[in-house]
Amino acid sequence: MMKEVRLIRKASQGFLLTSALLMLLSTVALYFYVKQLMQQEVEEELFSTQARIESALQLSKPPFSLPPVLEVEQVPEMGTEKVKDTIIYDPSQKEMEEFRELVSFKNINGKNYKITVRNLIVESEDILFAIILSYLLIILLVILIQFYFNREKNKKLWAPFFRNLQAMKTFSLSSDTPIPLEKSRILEFNELNKEVMMLTNKVRTDYKNLKQFTEDVSHELQTPLAIIQAKIENIINGDHLNDMQFEHLTSIQKDIQRLTQMNKRLTLLTKIENKQFVNLEQINITQLIEETVQNFHEISNAEIEFSVMDKIGVRMDVHLAEVLCNNLISNAIKYSPQEGKIEVSAKENSLTISNKGIQALEHPEMLYSRFYRESETVKSTGLGLAIVKRICELYGFTVVYSFEQNKHVFSIKFK
Amino acid sequence: MKILIAEDEIDLQQSIATYLERDGNVCEVASDYNDAAYKVDLYEYDLILLDVNLVTGSGLDVLKKLKKDKRDAGVIIISANSSLDDKLDGLDLGADDYITKPFHLAELNSRIKAVLRRGKYGGDDTITFNEIMVDTKSRTAYINGRALSLTRKEYDLLVFFLTNQGRVLSKEIIAEHLWGDNSDLADNFDFIYVHINNLRKKMTAEGAKYIKTAYGSGYKFIAD
Repeated sequence: MMKEVRLIRKASQGFLLTSALLMLLSTVALYFYVKQLMQQEVEEELFSTQARIESALQLSKPPFSLPPVLEVEQVPEMGTEKVKDTIIYDPSQKEMEEFRELVSFKNINGKNYKITVRNLIVESEDILFAIILSYLLIILLVILIQFYFNREKNKKLWAPFFRNLQAMKTFSLSSDTPIPLEKSRILEFNELNKEVMMLTNKVRTDYKNLKQFTEDVSHELQTPLAIIQAKIENIINGDHLNDMQFEHLTSIQKDIQRLTQMNKRLTLLTKIENKQFVNLEQINITQLIEETVQNFHEISNAEIEFSVMDKIGVRMDVHLAEVLCNNLISNAIKYSPQEGKIEVSAKENSLTISNKGIQALEHPEMLYSRFYRESETVKSTGLGLAIVKRICELYGFTVVYSFEQNKHVFSIKFK
Repeated sequence: MKILIAEDEIDLQQSIATYLERDGNVCEVASDYNDAAYKVDLYEYDLILLDVNLVTGSGLDVLKKLKKDKRDAGVIIISANSSLDDKLDGLDLGADDYITKPFHLAELNSRIKAVLRRGKYGGDDTITFNEIMVDTKSRTAYINGRALSLTRKEYDLLVFFLTNQGRVLSKEIIAEHLWGDNSDLADNFDFIYVHINNLRKKMTAEGAKYIKTAYGSGYKFIAD
């Protein structure tokens, strides 16, 4: 995966990198240019000194030397003129020094002279370094100041973007109001806002319509179901029915009941998602689960055993707390094999309910999806655990499923 | 008893009427808000079944009107909405009970009788059937004056049978009456059977053999 970098940091990095490169290149260029310039200057000076000496000799002034900077001597033969660097002993500095030297041969008044003029290089190199150093310091300062201003400017420039990003992060599907996006003076940002606004509004209305649809369908189904149910009851209480017909009719009653249950649960899910449960009360979950188990004893043979029972106090809606306990216990009963023991424990702030099972679920990630069932052997609406999950999400509880020692374990951690 | 059924779904309205008339009740029907408001204004009823969503108005408004005029008919609200708010609204306005669609007619019948029993509509707190007498206030049943020792569910079952005499009750209806939404667990194990059998034994021991089997798997409470 590509490493992610913050926008402002990335921009600063780019700036620093190009600046450093430019600084390096310009310094090198400056170095060679100044060096070249100074060499020219030194050479010009050497030539002019040489020319002055030449004219002095022409005026028959006696030749003189001032080693190491100036040496005039009579030579038998003429040589070629050349300019070079040389290292010779400088008595004034008492050490070997590097010189630029011009050796020229002149025939003046019938005599051959070798004129050597030298100039100390160190001096010019010092100047060169001084120039480069000052340049470096200045450019570094400029870059630093630029860097700082740039960063501040970037921060200011992107500020509305970051604020809007923050606002988008808090976006909720079920929210009634659109995302509060800030308008800025930057065209692209406003365009982005417009697009985001359009998308989120679309998603919100779609979601709302879907919810409304679920609600409407559930609601509209109640009346026809009521009619069917009422008619069946009147048929059952009429005459001329045989056992077989009665069986069929009661079987239809059972299916109507399933539909009714499903309807009720779907409506409940929608209501939880709509956050229509706003009454918070202090509830003793441990006591509630004990009462729930008590109620189930009347309709189920399942053996339910309590282990640790610490008191768990939670603030939530009473009805939802009842639904939560009810769904967890009834789920355990439904999927528990005959003779299988169900264990309930409340420890610190976790409620754990486990029932025996043969193997772990194949798709535990689907467990809380609507209408998901791993086996068709058990009659259920497939909504019980989806409701459990929604209730937990509503109050920030966590629900965890695991399969340990041939047991399906559901654990709810209350805040 | 004289009962008004204010329900805009004609099929449902007629089915309810058919069921209730078998017990010798006189049923009148209203199919919309105006009809209901008009009839309520003009006639006296022992009990009114009020659908919340009447085509042209709200059943709750009819209820408000009834209460304003200080009429003493019992009122049961019928709603397609299982929402708690609707229920509380209805009961706050002075309805005696509330039932959500879909419901079993036997369940509705049982609720109607419970409302009528409550002293304020001229009933009393007892149900009598031959040698059986049930005191609904103390939740005790007597046979020939001797108290039966019944569990909570057996008592509920007996009252349900008594209020639906002569009706065939399937296990589904009984289970739903006793355990509501959890009744789907009950049909996995034959728990209703166990409860009914226990009640039957206790009653038979006192000579009351009224719980009969109907069509193999249903039940009927009937005098020979």
